[in-house]
Amino acid sequence: MTHQEPHQQHTEPHAPLTTASAAVDGSDTGLSKKGLSAGSVGLIGAIVIGISCIAPAYTLTGALGPTVAEVGTQLPAIFLLGFIPMLLVAFGYRELNNAMPDSGTSFTWATRAFGPWIGWMAGWGLIAATIVVLSNLAGIAVEFFYLALAQAFNNPDIASLVGNPFVNVATCLVFILGATLISYRDMQTTQKVQYWLVGFQLVVMIGFGVAAFWHVANGTAFDPTQVELSWFNPFEVGSFSAVVAGLSVSLFVFWGWDVTLTMNEETKGSRTTPGRAATLTVTIVVAIYLFVAMGALAFAGIGETGVGLGNPDIQENAFFYLSGPILGPLAILMSLAVLSSSAASLQSTFVSPARTLLAMGHYGALPEKFARVSPRFFTPGYATVVSAIVAAGFYTVMRFVSEDVLWDTITTLGMMICFYYGLTAFACVWYFRKQWFRRARNTFFMFIAPLVGGLILTVLFFTTLIDSMDPDYGSGSNIGGVGLVFILGVVIILTGVVIMFIQAKRRPGFFRGESLSRAVAED
Amino acid sequence: MVTRIVVGYTANESGADALALGGRLAAASEALLEVVMVLPIEARGAVVPPDTGYERHLKERSRGWLAEASARLGDGVEQALHIRYAESFAEGLVAAAHEFGASLIVVGAARGGLLGRSRIGSVANDLLHASDVPVALAPAGSRETPVSLGVTRITGAVGTRSGAGSVLDISVRLARLTHAPLRLVSLVSIDLPAGMDEELASLASTAHADDVLEAARRALPAGTTATSVVASGDTIEQAVAALEWHAGEVVIVGSSRLATPSRLFLGSTASKMLRELPVPMIVVPRATS
Repeated sequence: MTHQEPHQQHTEPHAPLTTASAAVDGSDTGLSKKGLSAGSVGLIGAIVIGISCIAPAYTLTGALGPTVAEVGTQLPAIFLLGFIPMLLVAFGYRELNNAMPDSGTSFTWATRAFGPWIGWMAGWGLIAATIVVLSNLAGIAVEFFYLALAQAFNNPDIASLVGNPFVNVATCLVFILGATLISYRDMQTTQKVQYWLVGFQLVVMIGFGVAAFWHVANGTAFDPTQVELSWFNPFEVGSFSAVVAGLSVSLFVFWGWDVTLTMNEETKGSRTTPGRAATLTVTIVVAIYLFVAMGALAFAGIGETGVGLGNPDIQENAFFYLSGPILGPLAILMSLAVLSSSAASLQSTFVSPARTLLAMGHYGALPEKFARVSPRFFTPGYATVVSAIVAAGFYTVMRFVSEDVLWDTITTLGMMICFYYGLTAFACVWYFRKQWFRRARNTFFMFIAPLVGGLILTVLFFTTLIDSMDPDYGSGSNIGGVGLVFILGVVIILTGVVIMFIQAKRRPGFFRGESLSRAVAED
Repeated sequence: MVTRIVVGYTANESGADALALGGRLAAASEALLEVVMVLPIEARGAVVPPDTGYERHLKERSRGWLAEASARLGDGVEQALHIRYAESFAEGLVAAAHEFGASLIVVGAARGGLLGRSRIGSVANDLLHASDVPVALAPAGSRETPVSLGVTRITGAVGTRSGAGSVLDISVRLARLTHAPLRLVSLVSIDLPAGMDEELASLASTAHADDVLEAARRALPAGTTATSVVASGDTIEQAVAALEWHAGEVVIVGSSRLATPSRLFLGSTASKMLRELPVPMIVVPRATS
């Protein structure tokens, strides 16, 4: 971490200390001077990491239905629109990461810019969002696991097992346990294997789109729907609320993309590599999203019966129902693609709450236990286990409380992304306030882009919060006539506030700014 | 000439075992101790994006760990602390040993097995497969043995088959460096199918072991004295258990004949010994010839 911990005892070593680095390929990156591990990620490597973090097969199957439910055939327009705030905020994220690289990311940056209270809540938002998505990921993985088994053994009864909440929760807990072990022991898939998995995922998605259009052309589609230009026009949606609801779901499909922008220091080669990697990643992902979304719309339409995308019964996991009719005997490939993409995403997602918790423990915003690093595997051991337990508990409760767990978690996630990304964006604007007009590029990347991005997310956050009070919002889950998504959002944020005050009482140092002080970027 | 010893340190019990043994060997032989922590290269996989902030944190943390370790070791041992990055712990240690020209790598035998006896852990196992430098395995509990005890005896396990040459050389050298008495041991297990004349077989094996020991003693350089013992039992484990061991003793065994020349690989006899031995064991590679 870049900042010194105050209480740490400085035991003077009895001997000189040397550090050296070994580069994975080529040590001439100049990184060895810093003594970092010089993990040189090439262009292709960065794109593969980017795509595997976004996990397009997984995100699409989760986001397709809920977005169609809000905006109908204007799905492609909303996907394109949803990218704008994410891009703008990612610019700010990159600036902050360059200025203050720290494993606490949003938590550390918001604390530096706005002080401990807002910083704490930003950290909480990040942790809550990732824990919500972990439970969603594991939930999707469970459904596709049984679907793949059903397809492999040609026995549809197996797929219906996911409807049994006990089997479902038990399987999910096993998956989360597995992911925890993998993360705790830091067992990483080698680059070669990951290249194949990502390649496979992309090929299956393209195959899915092609097959969908082929059925449309052959007249064998479920509900052949003419592709129209209006699909790309967000103004055709009709209602502002619907656009906002759609957007808050679509944020999720681009979430994770920012890692390609922040891998700059580790990316080997010239300064342009990270930019190019990020651009190529997002181009590939957007193209795939649009193609597959259009294929699905053209094949299934938005009718409310059968596999129509308007049917609430299929909306929370679209590929689960569509892969059979579209891919026929090859449907199992889609199950495998979603499974492998969820697995990779489960692992990369696990890292982020754990590292943020670790940073919060390190700076004294949480008990010191959270800062523990496993001496054998060099992972944030305690924080990883805590994240896993909370994610498992969250999923279990949700599975019994909600009839549409996957849908509700994605909507809640959208809201939490708005919350902490918004705070991060404003942290960027405020932290760099003395540098805004030093250079033209600063004006855009440190001021305009994050400010506009942050404002958009703020509007999305409050609109979603207010609209979700309606019991008919999203999936229609509600408790006592109040929308479940609203309850979840409020409970998550209030829980954070309560824990924050407890910590402030127990660990006043951090809240007095002793370990991490407010600052502003100077030249 | 200063000999150097590399200690593969981790901030847990296994690392403490390694550090204590390394410190003891270094103090006894007046060697320089190179304490090395190996951190993983972040970008080795393609799933988790590399994170500069976390990497810095790890490095800070490791520095702290090394400083604590160094403080625990005290001033009695000449030492240097290092952080290295590698794909795996074993790989990093072998590279460090080459970098420093070290003649020995010390690691904890990882998980303590039952009853405080060492059972080979994955780190030690990886290292044994990768190293061309002798490797010392510190059994669980080595951290309890004080550095001041030094090395009270060197035991070379010369085995009953040929290939004991480098074991003998290194045992002699280490005994001289640490000013410790030398003992040569030949292990004999009489594990025969029922129906064979056990007594006869036992007699034959023991006689063979005596010959081997005699040959080894003759090969000792002039001026070196050594005691010798034939240990026998129904199994290697029993043979090992039958011997008496000092608290400050170190055992030297050769790597398997299956290993490629100048690489280590623990043979079946050595693995069985390791399970039973209450004292540290140094595995030396077969001589390149």
